[in-house]
Amino acid sequence: MKRDKRFKSGLIPSLNPVRFNLERWSYTVHRITGVILVGYLMAHIFETFQLGGGAAAWANTMAALHSLGPLELVGLWIVAGSAFYHGGNGIRLLLNEAFGRFMGKPILPVYPYSPTSLGKNQKIAVWTITGVVLALWVWAAVYLLAGVGVI
Amino acid sequence: MAEPAKVNGGSLVKESWNMVVTYVTGAILVFVLTFHLLLHSPLAGKAFDATLSFGYATGNLTYYQVIFGFLLFAAVIHGFNGLRTIAIEWLHPTRRAWLLNVFVFLLMAFFLAVGTVTLVVVG
Repeated sequence: MKRDKRFKSGLIPSLNPVRFNLERWSYTVHRITGVILVGYLMAHIFETFQLGGGAAAWANTMAALHSLGPLELVGLWIVAGSAFYHGGNGIRLLLNEAFGRFMGKPILPVYPYSPTSLGKNQKIAVWTITGVVLALWVWAAVYLLAGVGVI
Repeated sequence: MAEPAKVNGGSLVKESWNMVVTYVTGAILVFVLTFHLLLHSPLAGKAFDATLSFGYATGNLTYYQVIFGFLLFAAVIHGFNGLRTIAIEWLHPTRRAWLLNVFVFLLMAFFLAVGTVTLVVVG
């Protein structure tokens, strides 16, 4: 039997959502944004630790971050987008897995095995989250990168 | 009664409890992280750079110490447990799963300690 090239094991193939369904894309982006957020969390804990050293230590930390130039704000913008997506998709997963929302009713496994968990409601939930996240991300760009929008 | 199925050196029951912890810390994070982001958002009434000043940052850590404590613990537990899950799915550890768990637990403890010191010293 010929093996489907999609089903390779390992980290990189497992993160490749091409030719899979919408849920797989959502899974992949959730994983990638999660790793970005943990990386930022570790740096942020060390960054905030400098507050304990007083105003001078904090000024040095800020100067070091500002020396990155536009990369600092672009990095924060990517982290903000990751937080928006991971949070929004996390709420959907919580509603799916803990409360059974958007899952559809279980059916017998009849060919062609279309998953009821990926029904109309699930697709609406995924695309709604994607739309809201993109809107928030544009808003974050305007605020962080262009420096406007202060209320 | 049958024993619970063994997965990665532990049992499925243990992994189920890990998912409960992931869900609970995730739900906490939705609220406390939103609050944290709002303190640095346009709704704070300041330009972003001004929200990074020493006075504003220490003031927030002092006034909202408990909320930041929840944020620290929820983020570290959720984040590192998430990395552990990815590592398990990637590496499929069998006999050495405990080593991965100990490593992740030590990382969690280290970052919780650094964050707690910050909250206590500044707050």
